Amino acid sequence: MTNLRWRNDIPPLLFIAPALVVYTGFFVYPLVKLLELSLYKWDGILARKFVGLRHYERLLGDERFWEALSHNFSWMIAAVIVPVLFGLLLAILLSRSSMYGSIVFRTIFFMPQVFSSVTVALIWQWIYNPSYGAINVFLSAIGLEQLTQGWLGDSDLVLPSLFIAWSWVHYGFTMIIFIAAIDAVDEVFFDAAKVDGANLWQQFRHILLPSIRGALTTIILVTAISSFHIFDLVYVLTRGGPGDASMVVPVYMLESAFTLRRVGYGATVAIAMGLVIVGFSELFLALRGVYKDAD
Amino acid sequence: MAGSASRSRRKTPSIQSMGYAVVIFPLVWVIATSLKDRRQIIQNPLGLPEVYYWSNYADAWREGNFGTYFVNSTLVVIPTALGVVALALLAAYAFAMFRFRGKNALFTFFLIGLTVPLGILVIPIFYQMVSLKLVNNLWALILPQTAVGLPFAILLLRGFIHELPKEVLDAGRIDGCSNWGILRFIVLPLSRPALLSVMIFNIVWVWNQFLLPVVLIQKASARTLPQGLSVFMGRYGADFGLLMAGATISFVPVVIVYVIFQRQFIKGIAAGALSGI
Repeated sequence: MTNLRWRNDIPPLLFIAPALVVYTGFFVYPLVKLLELSLYKWDGILARKFVGLRHYERLLGDERFWEALSHNFSWMIAAVIVPVLFGLLLAILLSRSSMYGSIVFRTIFFMPQVFSSVTVALIWQWIYNPSYGAINVFLSAIGLEQLTQGWLGDSDLVLPSLFIAWSWVHYGFTMIIFIAAIDAVDEVFFDAAKVDGANLWQQFRHILLPSIRGALTTIILVTAISSFHIFDLVYVLTRGGPGDASMVVPVYMLESAFTLRRVGYGATVAIAMGLVIVGFSELFLALRGVYKDAD
Repeated sequence: MAGSASRSRRKTPSIQSMGYAVVIFPLVWVIATSLKDRRQIIQNPLGLPEVYYWSNYADAWREGNFGTYFVNSTLVVIPTALGVVALALLAAYAFAMFRFRGKNALFTFFLIGLTVPLGILVIPIFYQMVSLKLVNNLWALILPQTAVGLPFAILLLRGFIHELPKEVLDAGRIDGCSNWGILRFIVLPLSRPALLSVMIFNIVWVWNQFLLPVVLIQKASARTLPQGLSVFMGRYGADFGLLMAGATISFVPVVIVYVIFQRQFIKGIAAGALSGI
């Protein structure tokens, strides 16, 4: 309808130009620069030296990188189970019951999601404090002193401990998407099921679950992807330690580029991380396509 | 419905206690700790304070330079959120309303931004800011975050403008509105809810951004709030009363914004997830 007149009016490209300039200058340019940096050996100061694909070869044999990546993968597997199930449970309780005050509880349950991750880190550092933290004090108070731990200082416990702090934030996200999906299901289906005598599990299994399958796929994959850029909590609380017990790829990337001054290698780590994330995004889109076709 | 009502009555207490245990208790405990002195923290770590030490707040505010960090965070958040909304609205308007050559290619070009997280770009962004002499300058945070915020904002606003009633837009056209006039007097007022959603979403996201300042801001006077808080945390690692006062100072403003705008914020989150970020 409108394409007749813009010959003597502001052309559409002019509306897009400002966004295009900022996006190209500060997103696309760094992305291209990242690929270039990965081909050079550079300490960030002196002249850089072209090394071709040597950083990529080194990455394949770098045990620290693979260990960090394996931590991200363990994180991912736990992440698609714990906060997803917890969020689903809360969403069912908060939206499938005519409970008084459920809006208030939605607000409260979602709240950690808006905190800065440094605030979250600060709160959990205190909860995990070996001497005065809530967990150890509570365990001592109920006579389970033998279970008190240095939660963030123990190389077997540090990753699960960080994961719990992260889940405290992330379940709010899964819950809110599940609520949106569940609210969209027509009540008529549940009423029909009840008339037919379906119990709660059957209602869940045969009505709720098929109706929210799309949202479930989305949540699982968004969660999986976000497990690969966990940075803030790990950086603030442990910097990957003790040793490399909680080292994850984003922290390793920064350490390589800025602490060890191997800029090109850090860029290569970043690209590897980007490829994993893009891989999961593609998988996500493919799966969504499958479900769209099926519906 | 009778069945579900009796079910909910049984579940009400359990979900309330879960709410208290998971969210309320940690926060009350943080605030309680922020009002204790060292002796009370050691002797009575879990209880409420017997004597209230409000001075922790004054000390944290002063020692932690929170005033400076608040100003810096605000100076980053406002131009970024306004920039994303303004630039995205202009672009989304063109993508939604006009047919022109290269439109699909351009749109796809913007969508690349949805799959690449900001985190992997910090190394090149750092050296870009070195050459632009913007390290330690708040523009080093504003420009990349505006760029990264654009793809999602454009996607969301384009969808929204697309859904606007065609009759209203045609009426504007017949009345002789220019392209700019239609945007200014018809699309802009009608898009207000979507713009607010995008804005709130960006405000919270940028306010909490940590990785970018860690890399780009080294000077104490230019730190943002999360970064300042992490420095504060490192410096007063054992003084938990002071630290928890700092934590409270940092979350209270976000919680206020969230409680006021929660509907818009949650809409932004939901739209973000369902668009496939």
